[in-house]
Amino acid sequence: MTDTNAHKIELGVSNNKAYVWDVDDVYLLRAKHHICGVLTGTLPHVSQQNVFLGLPLILLPEEVVLLLEKNLAVIIDDPKAHKQPTPSQLKKWNNARISSVKAQIAQTQGGGEKVDDPKVALKSMSEEAIRKRKEREEKRAIAAAAAKAKAITEGLVIDGVEAGAGANDIQLSSSTSNPIDERSSTPTPSLSPSIDPSTSKTPYTVNIPTDSAPSFEWYSTSESTYTSISEAKKAGIWTYPETLHERAKCGVFNDLWEKGYYMGGGIKFGGDYLVYPGDPMRYHSHFAATVHDSPIEKLRPMEIVSHGRLGTATKKAHLLCGWDDEKSEVSYYSIEWAGFG
Amino acid sequence: MDDSLEQPSYQPHPPKVSFEDNDNENEELSSGDEDEGPDWTKLPTVSRPVIPKRGDKDFEPNADGGSNFQKHVLDRSRNAMLEALRTERNTSSKSISYGIWYPSLARTHVTTARGIHFTNMGHSVARSTSLPSENDTAKVPKRLELLPEEALYLVERGSMFCWKESEGHLGLPGMEGEPMSVQQTFAEMIGTEDLTLEKYQVYAYLKRLGYVVMRTKPPTSAYPAAAPFDKKVPPKQSILAKLFSRIHSVLLGLGRMIFQPKFNWWRPLKHSPLFRFNMNYSSVFRSLRFLPGGHGAPLHVKPLQDSSSSPYEIFYNIYKPSTNLKKSSPPAPDFSVVVINARTTPVPNLVELTNLFDVLPDLPPPVPRQRLAFAEQKKLAQATASSTPAMTSTVTPPSEISTSGPPPKNLSIFNKLFSWILPSSSAQSSPVTRQGRPSQQQRRPNPFAVLKSGKKLVVIAAVDASNISFFAFRQGLFEEFPMV
Repeated sequence: MTDTNAHKIELGVSNNKAYVWDVDDVYLLRAKHHICGVLTGTLPHVSQQNVFLGLPLILLPEEVVLLLEKNLAVIIDDPKAHKQPTPSQLKKWNNARISSVKAQIAQTQGGGEKVDDPKVALKSMSEEAIRKRKEREEKRAIAAAAAKAKAITEGLVIDGVEAGAGANDIQLSSSTSNPIDERSSTPTPSLSPSIDPSTSKTPYTVNIPTDSAPSFEWYSTSESTYTSISEAKKAGIWTYPETLHERAKCGVFNDLWEKGYYMGGGIKFGGDYLVYPGDPMRYHSHFAATVHDSPIEKLRPMEIVSHGRLGTATKKAHLLCGWDDEKSEVSYYSIEWAGFG
Repeated sequence: MDDSLEQPSYQPHPPKVSFEDNDNENEELSSGDEDEGPDWTKLPTVSRPVIPKRGDKDFEPNADGGSNFQKHVLDRSRNAMLEALRTERNTSSKSISYGIWYPSLARTHVTTARGIHFTNMGHSVARSTSLPSENDTAKVPKRLELLPEEALYLVERGSMFCWKESEGHLGLPGMEGEPMSVQQTFAEMIGTEDLTLEKYQVYAYLKRLGYVVMRTKPPTSAYPAAAPFDKKVPPKQSILAKLFSRIHSVLLGLGRMIFQPKFNWWRPLKHSPLFRFNMNYSSVFRSLRFLPGGHGAPLHVKPLQDSSSSPYEIFYNIYKPSTNLKKSSPPAPDFSVVVINARTTPVPNLVELTNLFDVLPDLPPPVPRQRLAFAEQKKLAQATASSTPAMTSTVTPPSEISTSGPPPKNLSIFNKLFSWILPSSSAQSSPVTRQGRPSQQQRRPNPFAVLKSGKKLVVIAAVDASNISFFAFRQGLFEEFPMV
């Protein structure tokens, strides 16, 4: 690459959306380039909430345009960058996986032997527990069968109960058998138990790689990198900005960014952007900005009232940004309640 | 900083095994001020899903990019965020599921299904696989398959390892295909089977809150979507009843002709001088209402585009977490969700909203709230939840609606006779209160509560560059509750 900067952020683009998968890039974007994006992925260790979200970081299209125009990032055609792995690459990957699993198993088992008493005891305990559970289950099954037989002999009296139990049984068996069938029906390709760790009784950790670059050798961005928006548009993987309004949005975003502000999505405040004086993580936004395609665009009085009202209620000033497409300039007006009473 | 204060000590539930935590760990997230982003420093590093409080923010950085203290706090927040983002998806081999992604089918075949998720995700499909299998008999084996959003969600939360279908047989032990990263899953699965990023984000958002989310329109016939709501079919009438209704309407018309003269624009009050004693407020207001009202009246707006190309189409069926859902035959949903891209889609117009509401069922009027002590309410809720979970919900599932919605069919002929001989109660509002709710006579619900809750509800999820806002659009029924 012919960049003067050491590092260009790679934006994986698929379906016209730009993703950032590298944590260091997330930091770089935020701390150095004033670009926040939106984290939208599930955080694996706190997966049942929506307050804290994780990778991927999805960028607004305006942010992508800005980063490319400033030569800070490149667009990667992400589906194309995931190449077909060669058999040898796959083999290498699998060997690494197996050896890691083996190491894990060895560690847990070895650890058990070293500490002797507790872990071994624990293991035998667990084995005993399994045996006991089995016994218990058998006993229960026998009891159930006996109860059923009894019910049948007693006839009509407990008929309803018996039928209910039967239905229960059916439901249980249908729900449990399904995944087992699934498992057995798929052909597991010739596993030799000595090599394959999946047959091991000792649990180990399976890692699902987050980003492809460090884990997969076959992920290669070299042939699917686009350094400018026009190139990417030509290749058909990026379309923004297409219309005058989209151009206006990019222009306003760019201008505010150059003034040193941070921008976030403003839809919840009736604007296009929220304009922050610093990192939104620490500072409140000062403005809710709306983008207008022309500096002489007509505004309805109701808009001014609603913008002013909403802005005042949320301790923000509303910023009207008029984009002049010919001069590539932005003019700003802010609305606040005068407060005379 | 006082760290002991920042560690939330309140634990609503004891810590659980990771895959059991989806339903009851959801706390009410108070998002009063949406501008206040999450404070990453308060994210617990242990794997315990406790939602910390939102943090406080400053107005602006001091001159020269912030004071040292501000910088310190910001760095702390950033580092906490990065630390959280660096978390790897590490799952025990005992609890992880495996699947194979078939790009040509846009489905993921689950080869190892573990965990609670598969009670309400995935569907079984009979597929004749080309793969040689031992039990390749005449009968086509069924297998568990996931839609792209289901597979993506499971991969993303670290519950499933996904392989990609690979051409040719891999002779590698333990591998069912090419391994896929989360990045690759996002890049490849979104955009298949009508799944857009916006739709996936709404799906994942609701799943993270514990809702059960299914497609409204089945992508294939093998997908067990809930049956579409019954179109409002008039209850079947016997020939005799039809005859009666015909006579009824004729008589009614006659009666109108006799007692109420033709509508006069200059004298809208349609009271013949003979029956002046009959005048009261409600009859006066009724006769003043000369424009047809209500959602039964046809629209006079012509659709600008044909409705099939409208982005306002119900995409997901949502079930509350407590629903005992049978995934092979899901019941009617608790909510219907439309997902739109707020950047490209304007607010729905009247035609689009009407089209949406046309396919949705009538909701029952809200149950008048009984004034009970909190403890009693709780007890009641527990008692009913154990027997029938739907009883306590304010939005009763439409199975109950359908029984309460249409007028009782098996009225005796005598009753019908009686009803049209005394037209004062039923005839005057035949198009308006077409729903003869028996409960309404007993206890009329608070009109304001009914007006607020509306009769039909559709949830529109507007996604603007990954910001999801949910809007509930309700179809009101003002004409049924005249304020006199």
